[in-house]
Amino acid sequence: MASRRRLMRIAILSLMLIPATLVIVVFMVVPAVLTILMSLTNLDYRFIWEWVGLANYQKFVTDINTLIFVRNTIIYVAGTLAFNVGMGLLLALVSTHIHDTIGTLMRALWYLPRVMPSVIYAFIMMWIFSPMDTGFLNTVIRGLGGQPVPWTFKYYWPFLFIVNGFIGCSFGMVIFSSAIKAIPQDYIIAAKVDGASQLTIVRRIILPLIKWHIAFVVAYQTLSLLASFEYILLTLDGGPGYYSTEVMILQAYHLAFGQYLASMRYGYAAVFVSVLLVIGLVLSIVYWKVFRLRELMAEPKME
Amino acid sequence: MRVKVTTVLLYALALILLVIIAVPIVLLLGLASSESPVTIKGFTLENFNYLRKGILFENDPVYSKLYPNVYSTALNTLVLALGNMLLVVLISSMAGYIISRYSFRGRSTLLGTFLIIHGVPASVLLIALYFMLREMKLLNTILGVVLVKMSVDLPLGVWVLKGFYDSIPWDLEIASLVDGTSRLGAFYRVMLPLVKPGIFAVALFSFLSGWGEYIFVYTFIQSQTNWTLSLLIRSLIGEMGGINLSLIAALSVFYLIPVVVLFVVGEKYLVRVTIGGVKG
Repeated sequence: MASRRRLMRIAILSLMLIPATLVIVVFMVVPAVLTILMSLTNLDYRFIWEWVGLANYQKFVTDINTLIFVRNTIIYVAGTLAFNVGMGLLLALVSTHIHDTIGTLMRALWYLPRVMPSVIYAFIMMWIFSPMDTGFLNTVIRGLGGQPVPWTFKYYWPFLFIVNGFIGCSFGMVIFSSAIKAIPQDYIIAAKVDGASQLTIVRRIILPLIKWHIAFVVAYQTLSLLASFEYILLTLDGGPGYYSTEVMILQAYHLAFGQYLASMRYGYAAVFVSVLLVIGLVLSIVYWKVFRLRELMAEPKME
Repeated sequence: MRVKVTTVLLYALALILLVIIAVPIVLLLGLASSESPVTIKGFTLENFNYLRKGILFENDPVYSKLYPNVYSTALNTLVLALGNMLLVVLISSMAGYIISRYSFRGRSTLLGTFLIIHGVPASVLLIALYFMLREMKLLNTILGVVLVKMSVDLPLGVWVLKGFYDSIPWDLEIASLVDGTSRLGAFYRVMLPLVKPGIFAVALFSFLSGWGEYIFVYTFIQSQTNWTLSLLIRSLIGEMGGINLSLIAALSVFYLIPVVVLFVVGEKYLVRVTIGGVKG
């Protein structure tokens, strides 16, 4: 009897878990290993696996352009993070301090860019900030009698921070606002009785109490930003000019799938990805330890 | 008096924040119904003429041949979104249940793997995935995109649903077991109905995620018959971007309709998925 139950248990476990595990192994783990293997070959349009050892890595380290891509990646990640964590915090603070209905509406609307198809979002943003006279901002400026500004030519980094930040900030917003709502009202009332101003309350009570949430959002967003390039591809595509906004992952994409003759260099492209994969994995493990995510994984009570 | 001033300032700030986020949508609607092809000027519904037959440049036979039918493209998009939704919901509702309710060896490793995999976006795996789909003869098929897309959305689904299962009291399950149901029966008859909000959230999220997908479709699909709306719009921007913005905007409005409807219906569910937010 007991062994039949054990057998049943194993059957249920495998029946329900195998699909998920299989999907993850086939479409995530295998490609990750494959990417690292590819980076050791000069795989190109002929699709022949020719092992070249670390030659691609040597090229990566010695190529003068690498420095541009690394620098761009740092600017992009740091700038977008600053914008979207700051904005997320502002949205959370404002929406939790106003009438609840308006606050909820505000959070709902700011969540919309996240689910909007990326092509549409990128299209509108490109038109608003278009450097041409017909762009929305320039139409407004000319209507007021000013000179048109070549937005995306001149201010390409701020443009990208805004485009990506509008999408990223809802993540921080949701986490921060639920953290702020969880703060016991007594603290805030006590501070008010003592005569503290609204800003002092934010700085001395709210911010210190949600600092771990802020750290978590920064950590998580760093990881996803390192490897996200969809909105750069859809807007400036690495331009304007010579690699102005070409980040590492975008360069990998261009090397592999770009439209120029230089593309289909899968082996060399895989080097960029492998470097990012390793950085990502190391960061994940560090965050794992720092944020004690293991606690989220408490064992079930009964069985 | 000081309190009054800060309150006024706070509401002014809130108003600004509300207006800013509404601007892109309002501008899109304005552009879509504009008489001028490049800026907002006047009002017309001519830009929506393609809706009658699904043909984009009806009066221009040369141009109209260049683009696939809007409705068949929309159908591809729907297949991708529904396929993604069904697979993610099916697989993650099973895995989430086991991970929440059973303790077995490798459980926390598995859960941790899901989290780490979710943290490192799958776009980094594009090159290897392209190669794999090519070997499996799935390149240039919607099925190939669905499989990749589903595997990307799955870890988040498992995490979100595990959270929902966790929040359901054990007593309910124990009670049904005492009454003589099997574990599987309890899962199907007691647990699944209780986590409906979670399933709804994951379903909405994966539908919208598949509906809006661009990179995977762009990378894996070549022939126009398999295009989705994101590719059609992107290609129009590439070729008509300087000349015919209002048509692109009108097509975007069509593309956006299901998104807005589902968003209005399920916003409060969607927000609960944020915990594993995907985009930068």
